Amino acid sequence: MRRWAMKTFVIALLSGVLAAGAVSAATVTNKDGETAVLVVVEGESRMEVAIGSGATEMICPSGCFVTTPSGDRIGLQGDENVEIVNGSAIVK
Amino acid sequence: MHFVGKLLAVSVCLLSLAGAGAVVAQNAQPAQTTQPAETPAKAPAQAGNQPAQGNAQPAQNAQPAADNKGQPATAAGQPAQTPATPAQPSDAVSAAEAGQSQTAEQLATAAKELKRLKDLIAKASDDDTLLAGYKVEVDAVAKQIIATSIATRPRLDEIKARLTELGDPPGEGQPPEADIVTSERKRLLAERGEINALTGEAENLSVQATKLSNAITATRRALFSNTLLKNTDVSIEMFDEALSATINETKVLSRSTTSWLTFVWNYKRIPLLTALFLSICAALIFLVGSNRLFSPYIHHDKSDEEPSYMRRLSVAFWSTLIPTLSTAAFAVSSFLFLRSFNVLRSDITPIIAIALAVTVVGFFVTTLANAVLSPKDSRWRLVRVSDRGANVLLITIFAMALVNGLDYMFGGISEALGSPVVLTVVKSFIASVVIGLIIIASAWIKPTLKRDEPFDAPGHPWPRIVSIILVLTGASLIIAAATGYVGLSRFIATQIIITGAILVMMYIGFLTGKAVSRQGAFAETAAGRYLERRFKLEQVGLDQVGLAAGLGIYALVALFFIPLILLQWGFQVADIESWTYRAVTEIKIGTITISLMGIMAGVLFFALGYVVTRWVQRWIDGNIMARSRVDAGVRNSIRTGIGYVGVGLAGLIGLSAAGIDLSNLALVAGALSLGVGFGLQNIVSNFVSGLILLVERPFKVGDWIVSGTTEGFVKRISVRATEIETFQHQSIMMPNSLLINASVGNWTHRNKLGRSEIAITVTYASEPRRIMDLLAEIAGAHPMVLKNPSPTVGFTAFGEDRMTFELRIYVADVLTGGGVRNDLRVAIYERFRDEGIGAPFPVKIEDVPIESQTGIESHEPEAVGEPKGATSADEKAAASKKEAASAAPLDEDSEAEGSKRRASSRRSNPNR
Repeated sequence: MRRWAMKTFVIALLSGVLAAGAVSAATVTNKDGETAVLVVVEGESRMEVAIGSGATEMICPSGCFVTTPSGDRIGLQGDENVEIVNGSAIVK
Repeated sequence: MHFVGKLLAVSVCLLSLAGAGAVVAQNAQPAQTTQPAETPAKAPAQAGNQPAQGNAQPAQNAQPAADNKGQPATAAGQPAQTPATPAQPSDAVSAAEAGQSQTAEQLATAAKELKRLKDLIAKASDDDTLLAGYKVEVDAVAKQIIATSIATRPRLDEIKARLTELGDPPGEGQPPEADIVTSERKRLLAERGEINALTGEAENLSVQATKLSNAITATRRALFSNTLLKNTDVSIEMFDEALSATINETKVLSRSTTSWLTFVWNYKRIPLLTALFLSICAALIFLVGSNRLFSPYIHHDKSDEEPSYMRRLSVAFWSTLIPTLSTAAFAVSSFLFLRSFNVLRSDITPIIAIALAVTVVGFFVTTLANAVLSPKDSRWRLVRVSDRGANVLLITIFAMALVNGLDYMFGGISEALGSPVVLTVVKSFIASVVIGLIIIASAWIKPTLKRDEPFDAPGHPWPRIVSIILVLTGASLIIAAATGYVGLSRFIATQIIITGAILVMMYIGFLTGKAVSRQGAFAETAAGRYLERRFKLEQVGLDQVGLAAGLGIYALVALFFIPLILLQWGFQVADIESWTYRAVTEIKIGTITISLMGIMAGVLFFALGYVVTRWVQRWIDGNIMARSRVDAGVRNSIRTGIGYVGVGLAGLIGLSAAGIDLSNLALVAGALSLGVGFGLQNIVSNFVSGLILLVERPFKVGDWIVSGTTEGFVKRISVRATEIETFQHQSIMMPNSLLINASVGNWTHRNKLGRSEIAITVTYASEPRRIMDLLAEIAGAHPMVLKNPSPTVGFTAFGEDRMTFELRIYVADVLTGGGVRNDLRVAIYERFRDEGIGAPFPVKIEDVPIESQTGIESHEPEAVGEPKGATSADEKAAASKKEAASAAPLDEDSEAEGSKRRASSRRSNPNR
């Protein structure tokens, strides 16, 4: 029983560490009431990404440029958390 | 001792490095917060440490926010306040402008760089090596562009925040705002536009860079397939042409070689001879040195009748590697020396280079084949083939290597002399056909042996599948060449020889690794024997080292030979470098990135922290606490505490070195707390109890404690449980929480002073006062009995025909109580006998052991204290005599009972 508990503990800790250690792509969360349309330029391609109100998307794992609804352009390295508030991006 | 010293030095170095790193990071951060204009300059640095910037950013935002409180009023129309602020923005403005011009400059540089690379790439469109290098550069520029634009982000955020503070311009019908506000808004909007324009430019550049990078990849792919799949028309005219070209080339070659040789001999004799001498020296030094180092691994030991497989493997491996490396050393050094002494001429240089390279490769292939097949000595053969078969196989391999090598050498010569391409094609055509024929012919060799046949038996043909594969391969080579795919055919022929040789080498390496890691194998190697001698390693330790060595050999073989094969297959060094770099820094699985380097750094830092902790523990314990005579229990508590803190700190350092965001761990901790609530409750409560035990110290290591039915000495207080050793030397692991929750009796808590009682019964015929005096006297005479508190005698009961007295004594160390009691009983017995108190003797003075009365002390001090108590030999003899006389029956009883109990428990548990 105790050994089992210990094992569980170790597994839980390890998976937690792995989950915490993994760096993910840039996440964009739309905090506005309406859908935000971002223009994402990644590599050679230029695409429009629509993010619904309150939704979160993962974009550009290896760096890109994003044009927000407010018209501002920002460069992203690929590991940021971005929030869209009033059409402009807040990078955290 | 040495080892500790080294470890210390290394850890100090690393710590100071880490400290310096931290300081640099700290310095960098304030610079960013206070001067946004500086940020673009640090762009490359930021690309590496984004989190640091992320931390700095809120601070930047905080500043305007703090001003913000007073600002709205200003905007509403209190002009008096406004002049206070512009002073600051005007600095900021110039700083920001400087920052943007810097960004613009960087972008311009990047654009220039891209343009330069584009031109270079256009020029080098047929050089694979150069293209691979350029691709790495282009990718770096793309990264740089993104980093540059990221650097503008803080300023953009500032502008946006300030614009929000200023609010929208007043609509119609609203009172007009102050001019200064309007102008500031205008200025900010302009700056915002400027930044956006810059970022847009960066965006375009980035797209360009990616396009360029992809174009390089496409070009290289086309280049590769062009070289391989280029079709030439094979015809009679081609051979005619080639023949005349050959005659031409031979003339040119002999002319230029002769002229070079005469020139060198006449004018550069000394440099030539010096260069040759030096390079031979270098090769000799290498050869002799490695021979001395590895001599048992290179030469066949003639006296060894039956070398083990592992020995054969290692001899094959080293006897190929070392001579090949020394030949390579000779080739490289002689080429370098010749060149640096200006002996070479530009037309001769490539010919010499390719001749040397072909010699080295041919030597490698032949040596390897010789080592594996060992045609002269069947005992050292690695594969089971007949003597004749080994000879023929060796000749075959040598012939193929020779033909292929000559093909490359003549190809190089033709290229150097500028001969027509058709010559190279024809040479390759002939070489491919010859190699194909050799391969087909090798299908009819009879090398294999049946299980019990001797090596000199005639041998049997290949297994059918092998001979079919051989024929097919040879035929495909010839067909490919005949249909015009000479490049492809030549490539395949080369790969069969060289990649085959490398693969064989790798296979031998892997087999060696496997053999080394087999149980007990490592102890027989030289390294194993050395370790055994030097560090006195046991069998198990040696085995573990052997396992590690085996894994190490695997890793080395893979690390060394896989790049070699990749190079063979047309990949460039730059490719392999960038792959390796990516593999260790970022592995992407979906959207998750894992950095091997970071994880390794984390593990390293944790190990380092652990070692440092152990060292600090030992140092504090051995130097500080031992010298200041700190109590053993306190020492133990402090040592354990330091251990916990140190390991915890090392863990945290390791985690942050691995690049794991500790804030993410909060999530894990939240999830874990639920787990703690359910399953881990016990463990956590025991852990916390252990900490309390260390701090409160109700008992310490070495104490004699009683808790419930468990009684014994505390041996160790660890994280979860406390180890108690009973008087029978049974170790009991008692969970710490039990020791905290239940009452614990400690005989040796503050001091070791203890009281001991001896009951004495005598008949009513004796005088009670006399008895009491006698007892007090006897007790007072014993050296171990304390004078203060003094021994007392109590007249405790009137029995039916006996009086009961109790002698209560205090001893300084409760552990010696049993021995003292023993001595006292002997003394009482003898004294009463001499004084003639009570008769008949055995009936009247009865020494009832207190154990049988109370039952509590049943097995304590006697078991432990006896040897200490019996101080003199006389006393010991007396004690043993007495035991034999009166207490023997009782002891025997208990002994018999004990053995019976043991026997029954053994019966009930047959597995013990």
